[in-house]
Amino acid sequence: MTKESTTPLVKNDDGSLIILFPKSVYSLDAVKKASYKFTDSCSFLINEQNTAYEVLCKPTADIPSKALDELVNSFCNEVLDQDLRERIASETHAVRSLILAQAFSKTSLLEG
Amino acid sequence: MALASTKFKDLDFFNQSLESGYKLLPFNFIKLDDSRYVITNIAGEYLVITKEDLYAVANKQLCPGSPVYNTLKSKHFIYDDDSSVALELLALKYRTKMAPLANFTGLHLFVTTLRCDHSCPYCQVSRQSEDKAAFDMTPEIADKAIDFTFQSPSNEIKIEFQGGESLLNFEMVKYVVEEATKRNQTENRDLQFVIATNLSPLTDGMLDFCLKYDILISTSLDGPEELHNGNRPRPGKDSYEKVMTGMQKVRELLGPDKLGALMTTTKDSLTQAKPIIDEYVEQGFSSIFLRPLSPYGFAIKTKSFDAYQTEEWLKFYKEGLDYIIELNKQGLYFIEDYTALILNKMLTPFGTTYVDLQSPSGMAISAIVFNYDGDIYASDESRMLAEMGEKRFRLGNLLQDTYEGVMLSDALLGPLEATITESMPMCNDCGFQNYCGSDPVYHYATQGDIIGNKAFSGFCKKNMTIMRHLIKLLEDDPEARDVLLSWVRV
Ligand code: SF4
Repeated sequence: MTKESTTPLVKNDDGSLIILFPKSVYSLDAVKKASYKFTDSCSFLINEQNTAYEVLCKPTADIPSKALDELVNSFCNEVLDQDLRERIASETHAVRSLILAQAFSKTSLLEG
Repeated sequence: MALASTKFKDLDFFNQSLESGYKLLPFNFIKLDDSRYVITNIAGEYLVITKEDLYAVANKQLCPGSPVYNTLKSKHFIYDDDSSVALELLALKYRTKMAPLANFTGLHLFVTTLRCDHSCPYCQVSRQSEDKAAFDMTPEIADKAIDFTFQSPSNEIKIEFQGGESLLNFEMVKYVVEEATKRNQTENRDLQFVIATNLSPLTDGMLDFCLKYDILISTSLDGPEELHNGNRPRPGKDSYEKVMTGMQKVRELLGPDKLGALMTTTKDSLTQAKPIIDEYVEQGFSSIFLRPLSPYGFAIKTKSFDAYQTEEWLKFYKEGLDYIIELNKQGLYFIEDYTALILNKMLTPFGTTYVDLQSPSGMAISAIVFNYDGDIYASDESRMLAEMGEKRFRLGNLLQDTYEGVMLSDALLGPLEATITESMPMCNDCGFQNYCGSDPVYHYATQGDIIGNKAFSGFCKKNMTIMRHLIKLLEDDPEARDVLLSWVRV
């Protein structure tokens, strides 16, 4: 078991990055989905630590440092967006089923 | 009501939970630019809002009665005590969007022959052969194909003749038109015929026949003479001249509304957006379909090549669209067809039967192909892929398989089930999901997988970029907005 990192963002000499997402704030799904979206520019390894998800992110090509910073920013924002999507989906799950049932039925579910 | 009380919470549940303020309705979102997001509800209505507002909505921090609150409520992104009909309305809109699915296969492509007088490098299927026996459809196959066609539940049936060069086997075109028309005397469907042809074998006799049966002609016009002839080589290097002569005859004898044209985009086309559009305007067309580069026939086996080609094509598309909008501003009504299809999905309650913008994919549901030899394919692209040695999307053969066998085959149901955008990774929570679709054949050809990783997908990149571009035009450029709105059917 590797030692737990505590710094939220570490840039390694080989160009890879380690980003920490506190478990109290982010879900594993949000971290995974955001990573998937960036697979065209990076490869990812996600580890679970006690209090955080540790994302090891390796750009697939050489990226200038400024572009790399932008990439990290977009990635972190995407994790936030994914988290929001999850919350919206879970809050609206029941009403979504109701709307779909209504749409595919011939009668009104909301009357009678 | 049984269904509501067992599987779903009833309306009281939703009303009670409103006491604390407003509730969210299901919606997706996607970033538009650094400060704005596009949010889309379950029925495909969209709004552009700031990032702050998006997070405020979801965190229940909106002030009831504020302008953004009222807009979100009226567009069905949130509901409160006053919006009891919101769910019914949303359900109705959703149903309207999905309605085209129930119509099932409308377009049936009959490949009358693979023989062709052209040798276009982008075409995978045509044969330069005199051997009619080897590459022509026989009456036996045609009869089976007609039977198959009329088993479709769709009221609107379109039979389109394809090749090779379809008119090189005009006898078969005639046979199918006459037989299908006879058959339709009892079927009473809305039956329509289209001949896709390069027009070079066209004779006056053929045109008389087209006039009698009200047949539409769809030809190929790739752009100005040099580009067209370069893309479409034939002996005598006179493809363009033949199309011009043919188009004139079709217009004279059948009427201008019976003629359509499609262009194929090649690498040489990419720098010629304006001349291509000018050619279409000059030839009297009122629209053009700026089609993407086809992955079939190009050595496009690597993901990065796919991305590179898509970038180049997007440049071509944007340049073309800008130019077309400019022409409209100067008073010429001229449409870019792909843009119009997407705008109609974005701005009207209606769905589309355009194969690539459907969920699940429109393969076999919207269009099906009967090859000259009786093989049945899910789309024209599937047939191209089969010619390149990959028969993954061959659904069966007319001589051996039944309608039920083909329509319920794993070869069809597998991809259909896998290509529902609501369940595909990345698409499932994409803000453009309602307007997009899936193209299993494309993803299979480029990534070896029918779903494909959308982070690498040229199909995804194309649609995402176009949709962002169109929404920005609608939001930020009032003049362009007026033009784009004029392309939306009401
Ligand atoms: S293909 Fe791309 S743009 Fe289309 S729905 Fe999927 S993720 Fe969105």
